[in-house]
Amino acid sequence: MTAPIEARVALVTGGSRGLGAGIVEDLLAQGYAVATCSRSRTDQVEVWEKEFPDRFSFLSADVSVEADATRYVKDVVQRWGRIDVLVNNAGVAGEGMIALTDDGLIDRVVDLNIKGTLYVTRAASRTMLARRSGAIVNISSVVGLSGYRGLSVYSATKAALDGMTRSLARELGSRGITVNSVAPGYLRTEMSHGLDEDQLKQIERRTPLGRLGDAQDVARVVSFLVSPDNKFMTGQVLVVDGGLSS
Amino acid sequence: MTVDRARAVIVEFLQRANKEYGELTDDLSLYGGGLELDSLEAAELSALLEDELGSDPFSTSDVLPETVGEVLAFYDAA
Repeated sequence: MTAPIEARVALVTGGSRGLGAGIVEDLLAQGYAVATCSRSRTDQVEVWEKEFPDRFSFLSADVSVEADATRYVKDVVQRWGRIDVLVNNAGVAGEGMIALTDDGLIDRVVDLNIKGTLYVTRAASRTMLARRSGAIVNISSVVGLSGYRGLSVYSATKAALDGMTRSLARELGSRGITVNSVAPGYLRTEMSHGLDEDQLKQIERRTPLGRLGDAQDVARVVSFLVSPDNKFMTGQVLVVDGGLSS
Repeated sequence: MTVDRARAVIVEFLQRANKEYGELTDDLSLYGGGLELDSLEAAELSALLEDELGSDPFSTSDVLPETVGEVLAFYDAA
């Protein structure tokens, strides 16, 4: 193992595009060393690799595969010596009426959103336990709290993450590790692809703050939760939806 | 020697966990009647051993160790 890097080390799963990329961008801007992974690299990944050669790394990995998830975490520990922050962002939003949903879609959504999150968290929590410090944020969703027609499988997995957040907060709190969920509302990212423009405009009208969210809106909240400034908040689900669910 | 390093990790862990212990004999139980580790403490010891030595008997063995000797034997056999 090389000497531990001085910067705080953050893992962000699924950070090559969309909301995950916004979180990576925000943490890099704050001086973190950030390791992200996704199944395929993007142009944005190559920009970061050139701009931050010493504190950005990318691994092509499918975290729903246990071996990939473990390799991703171990590579980071090998490279930078520790993990201070884990943001479980990787997810997929399968949609459709449950009566017509095939096994493959259920498996894909459950495997990535739940099993992938558990695999990465298990591996990362070990290194956090060894150091008795760390911060974990699970990116869930307002649909895990309020429900949404056609998103039963996705919302089931996001509600599961919130349950995991509460249990892990109790399990790891005595070791200085915080665990919280951030539940974004409707964002202008790839994950809102199931909604057409009329639906998005309707959501805007119903949102007290009068617009859809963007990745930076969520990244700022994540940034606080994982920062040393968060000394006493754990086990919570923070909704970031412009007031839509209030 | 790896076994000595493993023993040092156990001692370091017990000290930071504020666990009282005497001589770490091979037959000393990790749990009831011995070091009295709870499940989180066992997980923490497992993580520390892996962190320091690259592997640990709790997450890589077929049978979970029950005694100090069984932990050390994992490294002795490696």
